[in-house]
Amino acid sequence: MMFGLEVRNVAVAYKGKSAIRGVSFKAGAGEIIGFIGADGAGKSSLMHAIAGVGRFSGEIVYGGETYRSPAEAEKLKQDIGLMPQGIGLVLYETLTVGEHLEFFASIRNLKRTDAFRTYRNKLLEMAGLSAFVDREAGKLSGGMMQKLSLICTLLHRPKLLILDEPTTGVDPLSRRELWEILDDIRKSEGTIILVSTAYMQEAAKMDRVYLFDSGEIIAGGSAEQLIDSVREYTYTEIPCSEKQRCFSFDKRSYSLAPLDVPHAEPTLEALFFVNALKKGYAMPKMELEARESDAPIPDIVLEAKALTKRFGEFVANDRIDMQLRAGEIVGLLGANGAGKTTFIKMLLGLYAMDGGELLLLGKPIRSGEDRRTLKAKIGYVSQHFALYKDMTVRENLLYFAQMHRIETKKALVRIRKYAEALGYRAYLDALPASLPLGINQRFSITAALLHEPVILFLDEPTSGVDTIARAQFWEIMELLKEKWGITILITTHYMSEAEYCDRVVLFKEGVKVADATVETLYKEHPEAADFEEIFMEYYR
Amino acid sequence: MRLGVVKAYILKEFAELFRTRLIVMVYLMPTMIMLLFGFGIRMNVTHARVTILDYDQSHYSRVLTSKFEDSKYFDPMVLQITEQEALRLIKQAKTEMILIIPSSFEKHLLHGQKSEIGLFIDASFPTRATTMENYVQGVILQAASEVSPQKPQSGMISINSRNLFNEAMRDENAIVPGLIGLVLLVAPAILSALLIVKEKERGTIFNFYASPIRKHEFLLAKLTPAFLLHSVNIFILFLWATWLFDVPFRGSFMLYWFSSEIYILISLGIGMLISVITRSQIAAVVLTVIVTLLPGFLYSGIILPISAMDHESYIEAHLFPVMYFNHIIYDTFLIGEGLSAATNRLYLGILVVYAVILLVLGTLFLKKELK
Amino acid sequence: MRIFWTIVAKELISFMRSWGLLAVVLYSFTLDVYIAGAGMQIKPRNVAVGYVDETGGGISQKILSHLHGPEFVQPKRFLSQKALSEAIFNKKILVGILFDRDFEKDYREGREAVMNVLLDATAASQSFTTLGYLQNIVMDFNKVDFPVALKAHKLFNQNADNHTFMALSEMLSIITMLSILLPAMVFVREKEEGTWDIMLLMPIDTKVTILAKSFSQVLIIFAGTVICTGFVLFGSFDMPMNGSFWAFLLLTFFYIFTSAGIGLFVASVSKSILQVAQLSMIIMMPMIFLSGAWTPIHAMHPVLEKLSLISPLRYYIEGCESIFYRGTQWSDLWPYFTGVILLGSVLYWYGFRKIGKLF
Repeated sequence: MMFGLEVRNVAVAYKGKSAIRGVSFKAGAGEIIGFIGADGAGKSSLMHAIAGVGRFSGEIVYGGETYRSPAEAEKLKQDIGLMPQGIGLVLYETLTVGEHLEFFASIRNLKRTDAFRTYRNKLLEMAGLSAFVDREAGKLSGGMMQKLSLICTLLHRPKLLILDEPTTGVDPLSRRELWEILDDIRKSEGTIILVSTAYMQEAAKMDRVYLFDSGEIIAGGSAEQLIDSVREYTYTEIPCSEKQRCFSFDKRSYSLAPLDVPHAEPTLEALFFVNALKKGYAMPKMELEARESDAPIPDIVLEAKALTKRFGEFVANDRIDMQLRAGEIVGLLGANGAGKTTFIKMLLGLYAMDGGELLLLGKPIRSGEDRRTLKAKIGYVSQHFALYKDMTVRENLLYFAQMHRIETKKALVRIRKYAEALGYRAYLDALPASLPLGINQRFSITAALLHEPVILFLDEPTSGVDTIARAQFWEIMELLKEKWGITILITTHYMSEAEYCDRVVLFKEGVKVADATVETLYKEHPEAADFEEIFMEYYR
Repeated sequence: MRLGVVKAYILKEFAELFRTRLIVMVYLMPTMIMLLFGFGIRMNVTHARVTILDYDQSHYSRVLTSKFEDSKYFDPMVLQITEQEALRLIKQAKTEMILIIPSSFEKHLLHGQKSEIGLFIDASFPTRATTMENYVQGVILQAASEVSPQKPQSGMISINSRNLFNEAMRDENAIVPGLIGLVLLVAPAILSALLIVKEKERGTIFNFYASPIRKHEFLLAKLTPAFLLHSVNIFILFLWATWLFDVPFRGSFMLYWFSSEIYILISLGIGMLISVITRSQIAAVVLTVIVTLLPGFLYSGIILPISAMDHESYIEAHLFPVMYFNHIIYDTFLIGEGLSAATNRLYLGILVVYAVILLVLGTLFLKKELK
Repeated sequence: MRIFWTIVAKELISFMRSWGLLAVVLYSFTLDVYIAGAGMQIKPRNVAVGYVDETGGGISQKILSHLHGPEFVQPKRFLSQKALSEAIFNKKILVGILFDRDFEKDYREGREAVMNVLLDATAASQSFTTLGYLQNIVMDFNKVDFPVALKAHKLFNQNADNHTFMALSEMLSIITMLSILLPAMVFVREKEEGTWDIMLLMPIDTKVTILAKSFSQVLIIFAGTVICTGFVLFGSFDMPMNGSFWAFLLLTFFYIFTSAGIGLFVASVSKSILQVAQLSMIIMMPMIFLSGAWTPIHAMHPVLEKLSLISPLRYYIEGCESIFYRGTQWSDLWPYFTGVILLGSVLYWYGFRKIGKLF
């Protein structure tokens, strides 16, 4: 073993609350180690401890040196590279790509030799940023920011690379490119790479995976070993009845007790469900009553005709046509910066249109008055579930109800009903910031549904949310479609989720490149094994 | 110390300062404070609006009235209205004083009888009221001694007063040097606090945490831009003071310059300590303003000379660096004793000690890890 | 209307829960105003006097005995003129008096006796008043019977007490500062926290949102003003109230709304709370310094005097002084009300257009 990493009995506590309890593991040169688990399970805390930026107890041995505190880790920092969680977190908005590389090389005191320049250019090339050396970081797309952060972290050839959710919120294309860079580096440099991720397909490619739950590692091993451990609980999908303790998601059902259906090949996602079942966590049964309003929803709810948006010279959306029908879930896919969010904001009336026409329920939207009618009929869940953080969940919801002129009494009844149906009743009087992302997601959805809109827009509602919460999310979407018959437009970076959509629309550089059902797309691309490959076809 | 590392950080700070337009604040704020305070604060009374009710309309009453008209301190209005109407003018804030010359003024004077002149002052602005009263008294006494037939019998004491340092008793001379002390305390502190807290708020502080860069290198890199940029302000403020406000400069420019640079270091140290305990930029700004602006103003000597302070404020004033710096600054502008005076040497030494202590404390308290 | 109150309630809840902000506001309206009022007396107090007496006492000591507390500290004797000047140069004393050898003799023999006074003119106000004080003492000595006497009445504030004035000025400055900052922050916080889109998506008239959000902050500042007036001004400083308290409240209410309009302007051009802080500072400082709280407006440079016409604080401060001290009647207060309301209307008209466009 050239350079080994050994973590011995490491614990981290914040303000008396324990984030990580007695974690130990080992890693060897050239290995990629994956950390998976729900948010708040302690992955980040452990990574900060190993990178020597946070206090911990226990000891960490790396390259023959032992450290027990950030101060002791100081001498190893030349060999360590850390990329903390958050898109573009370590970047300076006003500095260009080139200036970033220059800066990161300087603070590591790197010699500007020819070898360095070759390596720098190679990294730029791999990240696809060679053409953007003079662009300011603040003007890059999310995917590009993450690639830039990664190559900045790689510039000093760290022997121990720690990446905290580098791919969350990043499109499949950039994700694939990111992984290509990593794979290349670990082969050529023998780097130990620790990565946490929310994408199980990524985790499956790693050498070893550790599953975190409430501050502990509850399972570890190669992806095959882990998958083997849950094979016996995985079945082909059946609707779970209330009596059975089982979960269904992504064409599979999970149950500890035997089911009368054939087994299915599990993925790493199965780990989460089986763990939840073993811990006796019951997935609350999602239920939804029919809309209270009985106004019929016409077939075509919203129609965009040649919608165009420009920011200066840059055309963000170029003559996009789209029809949204009642009772339909439409998935809007595309790389970061392809114009998805801009398009949704135009549909919402948040951005003025630079061309084209928008029709709601057959009526064109032109005046401010039209826009207000539009706003009363749509629901919107923004990226990161922005809600008022100084108000409790109940107060937030009540506020939204009032703003939509729903009577207080009626609103309170509805809020209770939704909280029960979506399973977050226990959290009604908590402040949003103290809740897991999955709960925030569900109550953001409630806030968008209280006034019974005819269309619901969701911008990356599943980014950063753990697997079980995602499973529940899609269950809610299905219910909405069935019971309410409303239109749902959703953006996501999980290609597996595209299969839950009735129709998929693909954007590339502000232009619509595909608009068809998932089946049609599979037919058009017979060689594709999964939807991600179809997606890649369009971006090749 | 690896200079290449520090240099890269410094260049980055400069690039950010310029591109985020924060640089505008660096130069706009000090100048603005200087101009506003310099033009805005007047301890002397000028243009006091006095309404004169001349019920006598005689030669002597006109002599008195003309004394007011000739004075630069007063804007008199001679009106023929009743006292009631005049009082209403005061209530409407259209005049500040009413001077009533009684109808028998001249007659009494000629008969050697004492006559009484009434004065009503709007004391809503108390300091100004007191000063105005003194001025009016002065004008009347002067007028009286001119027309008075009497000569003193016994010996007479007269006062021969000399206004040291500020012969013309200009407000500018008294206030503007003190403003330099205020500005150079507040502005660099805000900037240095922001530079560090900004990285904490954004998350880029990880670049410092996770890299082998040392604490003193990081601080040097953060403080140098603020130091250099504000060093330019030393000259700008000097220019405003001597050119725009016409304050004399009698001491050594080198002493002014050197002590100002030390003083900026103190200010940077305060900002650095604040950035260690705060997490958001807004909190850093608010805290810096509370910690520096109020004491900087109260203990500057602008409002009240330190020697005239009550016991507690006297001690507090000695705890803040403002007092020592201002002593030197006033000396360089108005007195010119320079380093030949023991107090100046002592105070300069105290400033150096302050700077060293603050910078050392900042380095000790800054932790290279997440809180 | 219900929506209006919903927004107001929401903003009030948010305010109450952000304890840092709450603490700053409470501090500003209580302790800060108290410190400003209690702390500094601009009237000469504890003036340090030094003297050199070469006469051997007598008249000189009699004169010095008039210099006593609270205005003066016990005069300090120096042995030589050099020591006296040095003390002034080092700011140990503000005033130096020199009685030379001939002083007493001249006086007794009926000649003009000159007493030399050295003043540290860097503390202009104190020196000047001290000089006036000395002149009065000397006048008594001269026993000159002037045929004219001045009988002065200080109206509204007989003792020329500075405490109430300083406290009032500070309170008005605080009101100005907060009523610009808080409303601006209410809007910009939505931008920073990402709820801006959600706010825009509510099917509500822009004007209602803008008015309700401003109104909520107006309420907070108004409550702070009432607390401050009651506990600090009246409670600690015996503030006179010669006019109508209701007139003060009404004028305050309008004024806060108008300043909130400035906050609205700040919010419409800022992207982050930090920008709000910077911009507010640039707007606020001229406002406070050109308001007449420090120097009466008509004593300013004519350009500044004209400029101050567009500062609502100018009308408000003079109005408040009139109400508290001068006891001006309602019918004579109209210029202040007009000034404040007029400026407010212009600001809101602009705010509606500028922020309203974004909806």
